[in-house]
Amino acid sequence: MPHHWGMAVDLDRCTGCEACVVACHAENNIATVGDSEAARGRAMHWIRVERYWEGEFPEVKVKFRPVFCQQCDNAPCEPVCPTYASAHSEEGLNAQIYNRCIGTRYCANACTYNVRFFNFYPPAWEKPLHLQLNPDVSVREGGVMEKCTFCVQRINAAEVAAGMQKRTLMDGEIQPACVQSCTANALVFGDLNDPESAVSKLAESPRGTKLLEELGTKPKVTYLLKESWHESRGA
Amino acid sequence: MSRAAHNSLADDLLRPVLHSSRAFYITAAILGTIVLCGLSTWFYQIYYGIGVTGDNWPVFWGFHETNFVFWIGISHAGTLISAILRIVNATWRRPVTRCAEVITAFALMIGAMFPLIHLGRPWLAWWLIPYPSERGLWPNYRSPLVWDFFAINTYLLSSLLFLALPAIPDMALIRDRTKGWRRTLYGKLSLGWQGTPKQWHRLESAMHLMALAIIPIAVSVHTIVSFDFSMAVVPMWHSTIFGPYFVAGAIFSGIAALNIVMAVIRKLLHLEKYLQPVHFQNLGKLMLAMSLLWGYFVFNERLVTWYGNTTHEMTALWSTQMGRYSPLFWTMVFCNFILPFPLLTIKRLRSITSTVVASCGVVVGMWIERFLIIVPSLSYKSMPYSWGSYMPRWPEIVILASSFAAMGLLYLLFSKFIPIISIWEMKVGEHPEIQIAAQVQEAEAAGELT
Amino acid sequence: MDRRDFLKITAASGASATLASCGNPEHSMVRFIPEEELSGGVAVWKPSICPLCPAGCGMLVRVMDGEAEVIRNGKKGTIQMGLAKKLEGNPNHPISQGKLCVRGQAAIQVTYHPDRIIHPLKRSGARGTGPFQEITWDEAMSMLVSQLNGLAASGNQKAAVFLTKPMRDQRQTLISEFSSRFGASVPVTFDPLGDHVLRRANARSFGYDQLPTFDIGRSRYVLSFGADFLGTWNSPVTQSIGYGDMRQGKLQDQPAKRGKFVQFEARMSQTGANADEWIPVNPGTEGVLALGLAHVIMKAGLRKPEAVGAAGSQIAGWPGLADYAPEEVEKRTGVKAERVKRIAKEFANNGPAIAIIGGSPLAHTNGMFGALAVNALNALIGNAGAGNGESPMGFMRQPKPNADQNRHFESFIADAAQNNERVKVLLLHEANPVYGSPPAWRVRETLSKIPFIASFGSFIDETSILADLILPDHSFLESWVDHIAESGDSGPVIGLAPPAMHALHQTRAMPDVLLDASRKLAKPLGPPMPWKSYEEMLKASVEAVDPSKDAWKSAQQLGGVMPPANVSLPAPQTTRGGSPLSYSEPQFDGDAGQFPFHFLPFQSQAFLDGSLAHLPWLQELPDVLTTAMWSSWVELNPQTAARLGIAAGDTIEVSSNHGNLQSPAVISPGIAPNIIAMPMGQGHETFTRFASGRGANPISILAPMTEPETGSLAWAATRVRVAKVQSPSKSKLILFAGSLREHPEDIGR
Ligand SMILES: Nc1nc2c(c(=O)[nH]1)N[C@H]1C(S)=C(S)[C@@H](COP(=O)(O)OP(=O)(O)OC[C@H]3O[C@@H](n4cnc5c(=O)[nH]c(N)nc54)[C@H](O)[C@@H]3O)O[C@H]1N2
Ligand SMILES: Nc1nc2c(c(=O)[nH]1)N[C@H]1C(S)=C(S)[C@@H](COP(=O)(O)OP(=O)(O)OC[C@H]3O[C@@H](n4cnc5c(=O)[nH]c(N)nc54)[C@H](O)[C@@H]3O)O[C@H]1N2
Ligand code: SF4
Ligand code: SF4
Ligand code: SF4
Ligand code: SF4
Ligand code: SF4
Ligand SMILES: [Mo]
Repeated sequence: MPHHWGMAVDLDRCTGCEACVVACHAENNIATVGDSEAARGRAMHWIRVERYWEGEFPEVKVKFRPVFCQQCDNAPCEPVCPTYASAHSEEGLNAQIYNRCIGTRYCANACTYNVRFFNFYPPAWEKPLHLQLNPDVSVREGGVMEKCTFCVQRINAAEVAAGMQKRTLMDGEIQPACVQSCTANALVFGDLNDPESAVSKLAESPRGTKLLEELGTKPKVTYLLKESWHESRGA
Repeated sequence: MSRAAHNSLADDLLRPVLHSSRAFYITAAILGTIVLCGLSTWFYQIYYGIGVTGDNWPVFWGFHETNFVFWIGISHAGTLISAILRIVNATWRRPVTRCAEVITAFALMIGAMFPLIHLGRPWLAWWLIPYPSERGLWPNYRSPLVWDFFAINTYLLSSLLFLALPAIPDMALIRDRTKGWRRTLYGKLSLGWQGTPKQWHRLESAMHLMALAIIPIAVSVHTIVSFDFSMAVVPMWHSTIFGPYFVAGAIFSGIAALNIVMAVIRKLLHLEKYLQPVHFQNLGKLMLAMSLLWGYFVFNERLVTWYGNTTHEMTALWSTQMGRYSPLFWTMVFCNFILPFPLLTIKRLRSITSTVVASCGVVVGMWIERFLIIVPSLSYKSMPYSWGSYMPRWPEIVILASSFAAMGLLYLLFSKFIPIISIWEMKVGEHPEIQIAAQVQEAEAAGELT
Repeated sequence: MDRRDFLKITAASGASATLASCGNPEHSMVRFIPEEELSGGVAVWKPSICPLCPAGCGMLVRVMDGEAEVIRNGKKGTIQMGLAKKLEGNPNHPISQGKLCVRGQAAIQVTYHPDRIIHPLKRSGARGTGPFQEITWDEAMSMLVSQLNGLAASGNQKAAVFLTKPMRDQRQTLISEFSSRFGASVPVTFDPLGDHVLRRANARSFGYDQLPTFDIGRSRYVLSFGADFLGTWNSPVTQSIGYGDMRQGKLQDQPAKRGKFVQFEARMSQTGANADEWIPVNPGTEGVLALGLAHVIMKAGLRKPEAVGAAGSQIAGWPGLADYAPEEVEKRTGVKAERVKRIAKEFANNGPAIAIIGGSPLAHTNGMFGALAVNALNALIGNAGAGNGESPMGFMRQPKPNADQNRHFESFIADAAQNNERVKVLLLHEANPVYGSPPAWRVRETLSKIPFIASFGSFIDETSILADLILPDHSFLESWVDHIAESGDSGPVIGLAPPAMHALHQTRAMPDVLLDASRKLAKPLGPPMPWKSYEEMLKASVEAVDPSKDAWKSAQQLGGVMPPANVSLPAPQTTRGGSPLSYSEPQFDGDAGQFPFHFLPFQSQAFLDGSLAHLPWLQELPDVLTTAMWSSWVELNPQTAARLGIAAGDTIEVSSNHGNLQSPAVISPGIAPNIIAMPMGQGHETFTRFASGRGANPISILAPMTEPETGSLAWAATRVRVAKVQSPSKSKLILFAGSLREHPEDIGR
């Protein structure tokens, strides 16, 4: 059975530290757009930590929620793409094939999660910042859509390595950059087709929910809701 | 009517083709300059990137896509109206049909530019074309954009045919009346038209078939354009009503455009004799009917959304009723409903001027309508954190303006090419007792129509 | 094996061969034609240490081959070299445990920054105006040496002084050794936001002049008084890892009972946003609240006051704490008496429990009292005097006694300003006091009077622009790095790593420059420096801790000398004593009538004190609470904003007795109505293309208030007034998010 990659996000652990955000930039050659473009709403953050305020001062609370491509199994961004640049892979990923993208931006409109980002201008790295670019990840050109790939380059590398050693992949062996960096271990990545994997077990958690599940997108990311504290509960 | 009168009809209608005034050159130069500005702006956009527009995250579509839907909508005036009028054999249609069909052809051409203009990498637009490649790279037939590609191309082709077929006798007329290069050119274009009964008969049947075929094509085209939106799970887009709603809006705006164009050529080309108040009145009635139908769709769409009361849809809805986009919404309601309604219903107010005023309102209102379908929904999608807004920037405004200029320019040039009012159809119209054009020709030839 | 695998393997061996050598880059020849083919895609992971904050997280650097344009021996060319590509936490390192914070992730941009100083510079215009001229290292070294020789010739070596950021590595030792052998003044540390008050309080309460270590993962109840322990304070990575475990257990483990976290603070921090209960407290009354909790615990008989030992004896009125009955506490702190009682009982009944104090509570004039009170509360709950490893808090073992022998900048600048101290040669290392000091210290004026300033910094900032000579250091990835952690583990943790890559530019490692200079002096140093290179010095330091044969080698491979597993955390001691302190009202600069608001600057998640504002990733990072990018802002309560007629995004002017600034307003439900808060970090005049001229600097309006016992800056003790600016000079608030709330009531209306 092919792998079926998924993630779990434990909202009870996430601290809003945003290490994941910069880690993703560093790993995936995501350009910074600068202040005036950011002011136009063109900053690109494949993963963002959403913040929602609840209540009023002083009884105020904050909800953090890291949001990135949900790798929908019924992805609204896929059928709309005229060139198959947004396409489903055998391992259940919503692949973004930059070479094929002609820049209609239709997929980004269709994505209910608003996790697709467009290179409104050709991205630039002021020298020598370009020396940091990860050679495993293609640099996109202007006019091309991009988004979280579940760090497919890391998945591919691990699969090649395991193949060379003639063994199967171990649970936890692949860590996308955000998962690797997550300081509170709020992000867990793994194979949903392996019932023993950590992510499969978390996906079964009673705290588990999916974002906008009611729209029928079949997202592969499970969000584990924040718990509240009860003095009597537990050990 | 005398033979002289006939010749004067042909003279009147051929005059613009054969003689160009200073005003023509000046107008053409002005319009051409605006079009050139638009083209340069487009190249500027290609060179620097889509970033020169106001598009952003999450409003990835703005003016260009609005223009696309708008112009494809405008295109519904012509062919569709003329086809319907032909089928129901409305005699008052005669001076109107070609005016209308020309709108269709050019509005479609202009509209079809916008999917190219809006691309991030327009130099790769040909990837939308299906052709067998050794890598098996076909376009994605599930994508409404690919459907658009087929639909618009089909409509454009058939509209051009629909325009070209009934122009043949007029081109033959020009051939017969001119010398030199015109004779050669129109000789080729009139495809050997001699006006034999057999040719008349074939033309009539072809037009009838085309008229029957083009109605479903036209309806399907704007339905498919509406699919660009309704196929996506975006608040207020994902609606089953979009097909007929878009078609109704398209015809509505198309009639308005036709009224304006007719009024302009009537003045410019001195065709007051042929384009009479009755034509404007009849088209005004049609427009009024479409206004009511359109109003019903808007009300229906909004009522159902409001009653359904789902969070995400309500956000997009309220943004147009009372929020950021409400000034535009209420302007649209004024332009499309409140303004045309009295102008077109109250008898005392009805005139060519008032119909044109109402039509101008409707064109503006329908452009806003297209904008309001696209932008507010994208501004308020399902994740509030990612809400945003949109403001156009100068390249989009210039390109919008130049699309109107292009319409004017193409129209103007076309009127130099083929009489903008079908001469032979007018002739038939002047002799209602003779129903078949062939008979007119025969009668004319036999000198019976003196 | 297919052809593809074969290619991968050959590529892998090729790459490791090219990466194996690590010589002296500035002397290597330019290879214009690479000998081998590029073999991208094959990574080698090398240890390093994050230099961005005192926590000292160990990291791994992914190094891959690439082509870099460089200048070597005056020639431009392209060479193939190992290039750092990505930083990740070093799993062997007990502080980072494989993780890095948001800033650590961005640290790589320090190395590749387009505005790095890439060769030595000599001032060529009026001081402070900017123009510099490129010089060779030989010229640069002789300039430095001749200045030092000049002092030595006139017997005025004392007129030389080092000014550095707080450092916890052998560079610190090297600078001290050099200073004392040369006869220079005691090196000065610039650390106005440091936790000196807490260290001193810990010395008084627990016998450790050190920041505490918390085992948050094991705690079931965490009370934090203003400490941004998940974001910027103490050892944020370790603490965040612990926090995750406190909530949902160690990954893969059966989750333990979920711990509770209560945060007391007047403005919600990133940390506070995660609290189960977030409770605003009047500024400067945190100590009262802590003692109120202690009062309830003792009164209810939940703990015996005798167990407290020295920590209690620091507090006047202990053990009865008659003045701290909940009703009294409510009056002072604004926290309801019932809530005080409930939380006190929960705290006592749901161990292991810890109380943390950090940040603004310590930055009041009565900060010492707050720290001592929280220490007493910790002791009362049983966190002091327990066996090692039993208490969820303690003090990390150090390789040698942890004593801060440097002079604090506060006293240095006061003396220098009054010409009590005539500095002739200032050696500046990564400190930016011109930006980071309250205006009343008159730092720019004072430093400008110094005849010669040399900077080792990599960037032109507000302080280094005053330099006459710039001797640019390698970046951390190009240098030998080391670090002795102060907290975060049972310890001792000595981080250490060789350079992860060759130097990109014509820079030199500061310690080696200093050693080189010491050899070039006309009058040799007293006893000469015992090391030829920094590498040698580090080797000696490792061998001093662990004399075993492969200690040096394994330290380089592992990224340091790590403590053996399962060493328990030394518990706080209860043996010391001191004179008890009683509560005193916090003092604020500015009349309450004229300046009705407390001004609360805070270290930003991205930029800390402002030293990281030059990194584009961090500039474009949306602040997690406000979602602001590339901007500074002022936070105020919705009621306050409504009363003053201020709308979100309006430019407002914040004025204190010491200055004023303009910044856009952010209206936040997470801040008390009497507080105006503002992040530090922006408002640089000169600090690379990304930070210069952007936003405003809250430190520029701070009053020079101090905590009397330590003399540290009381940076939360300024009062301000605010007003909407009608015609803003510059105001730009760039937000990433569209909505504040998930279910806005006023959707689109
Ligand atoms: N036989 C054959 N070979 C060809 C060609 C051909 O026509 N026939 N065409 C040539 C041409 S023109 C081209 S452009 C190249 C294309 O060659 P490649 O770029 O190699 O194209 P793919 O195999 O489509 O994609 C490469 C890998 O990218 C991964 N991937 C999928 N989605 C994503 C994503 O979102 N992000 C990232 N980072 N990776 C992703 C997939 O796992 C896939 O294995 O092939 C060339 N080679
Ligand atoms: N649906 C879909 N669309 C895609 C892509 C996709 O993956 N899916 N990929 C995109 C990418 S990355 C690319 S590069 C393009 C490629 O798109 P195309 O450039 O169209 O690639 P092909 O169709 O493979 O080749 C074009 C034609 O060249 C012919 N040909 C082959 N050899 C020669 C020769 O020696 N001389 C001449 N004159 N002709 C020759 C082939 O028979 C073929 O008809 O497609 C893009 N579009
Ligand atoms: S989250 Fe958006 S981009 Fe990702 S698969 Fe789903 S629809 Fe596509
Ligand atoms: S923007 Fe690119 S990926 Fe998205 S639909 Fe258009 S072509 Fe496909
Ligand atoms: S999985 Fe990779 S690409 Fe996706 S958000 Fe995480 S780091 Fe970014
Ligand atoms: S790194 Fe982890 S804890 Fe931090 S914001 Fe991202 S998901 Fe949350
Ligand atoms: S806490 Fe962050 S900034 Fe500080 S050392 Fe660790 S990774 Fe670096
Ligand atoms: Mo390609």
